Amino acid sequence: MTQEQRGQKASSWQAARAVFWSFFGVRKSSDYDQDAVRLTPGQVIAAGLVGAALFIATLVGIVYVVMH
Amino acid sequence: MEATHAIDHDHGHGHPTGLMRWVTTTNHKDIGTLYLWFSFIMLLTGGTLALLIRAELFQPGMQIMRPEFFNSLTTMHGLIMVFGAIMPAFVGFANWQVPMMIGAPDMAFPRMNNWSFWLLPVAASLLVGSFFVPGGASAGGWTMYAPLFLQGGISNDMTIFAVHILGISSIMGAINIVTTILNLRAPGMTLMKMPLFVWTWLITAYLLIAVMPVLAGAVTMLLTDRHFGTSFFNAAGGGDPVMFQHIFWFFGHPEVYIMILPAFGIISQIIPTFARKPLFGYASMVYATSSIAILSFIVWAHHMFTTGLPTAAQLFFMYATMLIAIPTGVKVFNWIATMWKGSMTFETPMLFAIAFVCLFTIGGFSGLVLAITPVDIQLQDTYYVVAHFHYVLVSGALYSIFAGVYFWLPKWTGNMYDEKLGKLHFWMSTIFFNILFFPMHFLGLAGMPRRIPDYALQFADWNMVATIGAFGFGLSQLILLVVVLKCIKGGVKAEGRAWEGADTLEWTHLPSPAPYHTFETPPTVK
Ligand code: HEM
Ligand SMILES: [Cu+2]
Repeated sequence: MTQEQRGQKASSWQAARAVFWSFFGVRKSSDYDQDAVRLTPGQVIAAGLVGAALFIATLVGIVYVVMH
Repeated sequence: MEATHAIDHDHGHGHPTGLMRWVTTTNHKDIGTLYLWFSFIMLLTGGTLALLIRAELFQPGMQIMRPEFFNSLTTMHGLIMVFGAIMPAFVGFANWQVPMMIGAPDMAFPRMNNWSFWLLPVAASLLVGSFFVPGGASAGGWTMYAPLFLQGGISNDMTIFAVHILGISSIMGAINIVTTILNLRAPGMTLMKMPLFVWTWLITAYLLIAVMPVLAGAVTMLLTDRHFGTSFFNAAGGGDPVMFQHIFWFFGHPEVYIMILPAFGIISQIIPTFARKPLFGYASMVYATSSIAILSFIVWAHHMFTTGLPTAAQLFFMYATMLIAIPTGVKVFNWIATMWKGSMTFETPMLFAIAFVCLFTIGGFSGLVLAITPVDIQLQDTYYVVAHFHYVLVSGALYSIFAGVYFWLPKWTGNMYDEKLGKLHFWMSTIFFNILFFPMHFLGLAGMPRRIPDYALQFADWNMVATIGAFGFGLSQLILLVVVLKCIKGGVKAEGRAWEGADTLEWTHLPSPAPYHTFETPPTVK
């Protein structure tokens, strides 16, 4: 990783990916190293809340399909 | 040498000695010690209640007590163990270890820290004292379900008050821990370099701040229903008793993770130390812990499958509950992978940690069984549930506490504990634990309800076995008391780095015992 990349702030997409893997509980260590330097706490919290909402929506969707 | 000098200097201006030292202390190590002793006393108190329960259940028929008293015993056993033994023990660990592990001189709010602790004996006196008021101690179960809890005497008010006080203490403790971790880390100690124990406590503290007010709200509503004419949970006045269960479990399920996440943290310090390998998947452990914390808020109604939830809700909570087992499983995998091809030794902390991994997993699996709605409708309120939560709480939370005590005793006292006695404590506990709780799976599957003082004859044999296990397990805990007292009095001197594989700051930067004041000048972490 170059110094330039290091300083860069992560995109929302990267935050979303980090949160997705965290729900599963696994993270590749090279990806994690990037997360650690580039994600801000605010991004992680926002992505976490969106992720939780999506997770609930998916479950509700599955329940809907099962019941109809 | 710098550090030693600073200490000598500080001891110059005297602080109170004797009893007043403990009453007025703002030192995180003193307060940690207080929490741990308090927790141990509560463990023995709650344990005595449990032995009375098991004595009555040794044989079918009513032997030694009235059924009302039996109900008080199960209720108070639960409350005392959850709020008096397990939770304060982890706060004790946090007080001792978090500042040392992140290179901070103390907790962020030392005076509030003192108050957080001294509220606990007040609450404990209310709980224990309620046994002696007219009508006896609360008897509606540790979950305090309405409408039963709306009836009953003054002891229920004492319980409500005690829960309020405990809640205040927990919230203040949690705020203190969060602030310490976020603001007092030594230079270079980035979040992602923190030891896992610190991480798990950071997340636990947020959970506490989120859900203790919910519990406080629930018991306040009980109080106003009892005395101030409201009808939140009283159907006669237009209220809904099932709403109490929703509110209680919205607190209750995160609460079970409050009791297990710090345990995960302790185990994640111990296994790498005795396997002499870094923790496998540190990052994934951090992520999995956060994920468990978030998901723990959306599974609460798995405690309510028999309350007439709509089918859609039953399905939702079943799916959500089963999915939360995935990050939990990831952790178990990581611990095993850490041990894989490590050069392991089996000192007492490691024995308890390995037993934790095996036995907690059994508890996790029985949880999955209970998560299947149609199965739970059979098993709800049977001994199967009792077996489940004792595998996760005793061989989970309590075992991690034992492991942590043996692990850090050398740092706390400056002496090595007696390894022979430690191993004896481990083996006695583990053998009797399984004799005590494994048969409860059979009893539950055969249909024996929980919280009953008498039972049908077909349950007699396994109950007798369980009671024998209970007395064995209970008495084995006296070994721990002996080990701790012996270790405080003396023994082989511990080195600064008492465990070869230990690499956190308290082992690498501090002598044993850790001086009264540490890291007044923060270390630099590379
Ligand atoms: C794999 C993770 C887990 C799953 C799937 C799970 C599932 C369940 C379910 C479905 C019940 C309700 C049973 C019933 O009342 O019919 C239950 C009860 C309980 N669980 Fe778990 N559980 C898990 C982990 C834990 C952990 C880690 C703890 C605590 C450290 C815990 C503590 C409890 C307690 C105390 C109860 C009983 C509460 C009561 O009714 O008094 N569980 N669990
Ligand atoms: Cu639960």
